[in-house]
Amino acid sequence: MDGSHLSVVVDLCPSQWHLSSLHQPYPLDLGSFVSQLLAFLNSHIASRHENSLAVFGAFPGKSVLLYSSANSPSETPSNDANSFPPFKMVDSTIMHNIVQQLDALDQGLDEEAPSALVGALTKALCFINRLTLEFNTSTANATEGLEPLTLSDPRILVLSVSPDQTTSYIPVMNSIFSAQKLKVTIDACQIYGPETVFLQQAAHLTGGSYIYLERRDALLQYLTMAFLPPPSIRQTISVPTQDKIDFRAACFCHKNIVDVGFVCSVCLSIFCQPVPVCSTCRTKFPIKTLQRLNAARPSLPLTSASQSRNSSTPPTPQKINGHASVTPSQPLGPGGLPPSGSINDNSTFHTNGAKNGLGLSG
Amino acid sequence: MNVDSDSDISISDYEENEAGVSRSRTKGKKKATDKRKKDKAKRKPKDVQAYTWEANFARSWETVQEDEGGSLQGAVNDWMARGRRKRLLQPQNAIRRTIIRHMVLLIDLSSSMMDRDMRPTRFAVTLQYAREFVLEWFDQNPLGQMAVVGMRAGVGERICDMSGNPQDVLKSISDRHKLEPIGEPSLQNSIEMARNSMNHLPTHSSREILIIFGSLTTCDPGNIHDTLDECVKNRIRISIVALAAEMKICRDLCDKTGGQFGVALNEGHFKDLLFELVPPPAQRALPRSSAAVSSSTNPAADLIMMGFPTRLPDTSPPSFCVCHSELRSKGFLCPRCLAKICDVPTDCDICGLMIVSSPHLARSYHHLFPVKPYSAVASFDNVADPSTSPSCHACSKIFPTTALHNIVDGMSAIGRYRCPDCETDFCSDCDVFVHDVIHCCPGCGE
Repeated sequence: MDGSHLSVVVDLCPSQWHLSSLHQPYPLDLGSFVSQLLAFLNSHIASRHENSLAVFGAFPGKSVLLYSSANSPSETPSNDANSFPPFKMVDSTIMHNIVQQLDALDQGLDEEAPSALVGALTKALCFINRLTLEFNTSTANATEGLEPLTLSDPRILVLSVSPDQTTSYIPVMNSIFSAQKLKVTIDACQIYGPETVFLQQAAHLTGGSYIYLERRDALLQYLTMAFLPPPSIRQTISVPTQDKIDFRAACFCHKNIVDVGFVCSVCLSIFCQPVPVCSTCRTKFPIKTLQRLNAARPSLPLTSASQSRNSSTPPTPQKINGHASVTPSQPLGPGGLPPSGSINDNSTFHTNGAKNGLGLSG
Repeated sequence: MNVDSDSDISISDYEENEAGVSRSRTKGKKKATDKRKKDKAKRKPKDVQAYTWEANFARSWETVQEDEGGSLQGAVNDWMARGRRKRLLQPQNAIRRTIIRHMVLLIDLSSSMMDRDMRPTRFAVTLQYAREFVLEWFDQNPLGQMAVVGMRAGVGERICDMSGNPQDVLKSISDRHKLEPIGEPSLQNSIEMARNSMNHLPTHSSREILIIFGSLTTCDPGNIHDTLDECVKNRIRISIVALAAEMKICRDLCDKTGGQFGVALNEGHFKDLLFELVPPPAQRALPRSSAAVSSSTNPAADLIMMGFPTRLPDTSPPSFCVCHSELRSKGFLCPRCLAKICDVPTDCDICGLMIVSSPHLARSYHHLFPVKPYSAVASFDNVADPSTSPSCHACSKIFPTTALHNIVDGMSAIGRYRCPDCETDFCSDCDVFVHDVIHCCPGCGE
């Protein structure tokens, strides 16, 4: 297959779009967003006849397939002499479905529920898997028993306006790994709201690009310049890449970002200090390990170590420069750290940890 | 069983009817009767296996039945149902698995690997499958480390040191001219070498040896049973994929250490046997008594100190890395000693801290939180509710509106598979894809 496949996941959370339309100095409301999106989708279809397209909408608590070029439409739109029929069909189908879903939201569904980005993402992956299977059976390849082919350049573009949901961490990571397996590139564009670490990681791990939109009024320009070219020709043109991705982990006990953590070998839970019992899987750890780890811990408590990274007098300037650009994007700023940032007394810290652990085990 | 009909009798059928009527009738009478005596004495199911050449020939192509329309859909469905049933048989609740694995891949490089019973040679097939195995193994076990040892000319030969980087391992087994098979293999020498390289490993990680063995002999300097005892003591799990035939010592090595043993029948079966060893093994529960005695060194669980490194941007000024001593700008900084390392996950070369990035931990989570198996929707009575959509919840493929006939157990006649939690329906392709690849349900994820 020559054409490339594009799946677009659109975050259509009404409350976030409302906030976006009020945001100064560059307000962007849902209406103008959709019109710019449709222009982008049309240009994808127009750039090659074989290109295929699927659009998934993530509504609060629900994800819906808005349009796909593989499913024949239920109703053909009335012919209009002034428009190219394929464009007309995409536009009217998507508009019809969005309006239908938003109307359905009024009737009962919880508007405050977070957007079902994960559901939409997994559906997009399943859809690409289906296309791959159909493509393989349709060609002679399958009958000759050769290795299954993959589609050329399948990709997913996520247009998000919602902040990260901490509960969806594992599903998002699972989706990223299956995208890697299918050789799908995930592009991400955060249109409104805080930077999302999950989408940054998704783009980085699958070789896509992540853009945080600063000039919201120029959305269409961003879309066409960065996301329209398929991944195969992106090497020859300059597409924004990202250097500052936060791959550090947060501990399960205090949600602190840790540099050196203690990990349960059974369930891989991360703790910022040695604990006698794993709070996730209730595994008891041997006493000797606790003693050894306590002895081997860095002399500075981890919390203050991570806070010193935010300070303006770094010991090694070149290394910390990379850091300083990372830290503002962390989901947990310095405010998230416990007030005990200056604790230097190890013993008090440990007894606290032991109490926590015992309390959990009891 | 009608032994004289001489067709369509698979080997497994044959084993079940182990009366041995045909065995004494066929060639190799003495051996067969001896074996039968032993069978009676022991009555262990493992010992009653017939030799492959004594079994009747199974015409596997005749077991595939066309339906009335001449289509093979029924046979294909049967295959898929087999996979589904296998998944349903797996325990529902999470079992404890060894996430942090250490494996030594022992490859037979003796002259018997040049046999041409696998095309083009056993050696070429082994190398190719070993490469695929390494890739898949690291994909599923991102925190694992692997070493490669060759058995050649009577000694064990270190081909690749214990490494967490799949590219290192792949590179070491990519050049076939360096690995040209020669001489006799020595199981003992190479197992000793593998065992010694894993001696220092912490107790919470698994120690495994996977042997790809093509020879029927082993040329050892001492008593291999001593080596076996040492392996049992060190909790090393030995698994063997034999390419020629079953040897008693190989079977013993696997049985006593808790590994798997298999003899490859053909190329496809060889690959299956290898890939069965990819998912992390379930952790064996220790006997209570020994756990109580050595409670301080409980190997089942431990707290591990891990470092989460800082990634240096591509544009940072180049500096030397500690692993290759090369000037690079990319890299990771060990959080404890600030040494610069090229790739994660690894152990820091300077301070020995285990360095991982959070996606590596996340990649192992799906072993711990598997998706519940979907149940097959039996008939249209179960979808009478008008709210259920006519298409697959994940990929929007339209469900068939007519029920299929000749449906085997575990398959849905109407092609719908329902998640027990979110009660949405999926097509069979998505069912497989969700459970094998994505590991999270598209319906429950909302």
